[in-house]
Amino acid sequence: MSENQKRILEMLANKRISVDEAYRLLNVLESEKSEPEGTLKAETVAKAKPKYLRVTVLPDPANEPGQKVDRVNVRVPMSLIRAGIKLTSLIPPEAREKVNGALREKGLDFDVRNLKPEDIEGLIEALSDLEVDVVSAQGEKVKVYAE
Amino acid sequence: MKRPPMLMRVKIQGEDSRFGLWLPLFLLWPLVLVFLLILSPLILVAVLILWPSGWGKWALLVLRAAFEVFCSMRGLQVDICDRHQVVYISVV
Repeated sequence: MSENQKRILEMLANKRISVDEAYRLLNVLESEKSEPEGTLKAETVAKAKPKYLRVTVLPDPANEPGQKVDRVNVRVPMSLIRAGIKLTSLIPPEAREKVNGALREKGLDFDVRNLKPEDIEGLIEALSDLEVDVVSAQGEKVKVYAE
Repeated sequence: MKRPPMLMRVKIQGEDSRFGLWLPLFLLWPLVLVFLLILSPLILVAVLILWPSGWGKWALLVLRAAFEVFCSMRGLQVDICDRHQVVYISVV
């Protein structure tokens, strides 16, 4: 059993990922093993590590030029996300409970204790595949992606 | 180690007010260093006093992590505009 397979099973045992997610990850590992080395190398070169997380909200293009509209363009360096996650692990237990409570109030049942520095690279890698593209009823385009 | 940010640009524009600032962070670094040097004996004493309770090590780790967060801010850009206000922050 490889080190990666062990890690996936540990994450499953700690209930950090679901059975479906573990199954999918193990399948990916298996397919990587069966692929020729050249293909893997080419894929690694092609898929460079993302440097920024972008969040953009663009107004409806049908709006008249010069009309005042809402617009958002946020670029967060991945290194800042890494450092932020590291800082999260240093939150004192009392404050952590307050953070968890505030998240629960917003409908996010998430324990910040689950954010561990050793999982940062996995999270960043997962973010590189993330792409959210939403068009609101008012015609605004919301995009979240890594670049 | 990452290089700390050099410049910070802040621009806030309201309907009847306008505020823009180029903050040369590289000029603040020597001041911060001098300030830290002056305060270092006090920090050391505080860490030594807090060490048995475990908070001393925690304080040192937080200082390091906060510095890392600050250094990682290079490249951050926030540009938000609504019908009444424009907020632009950029760290270079």
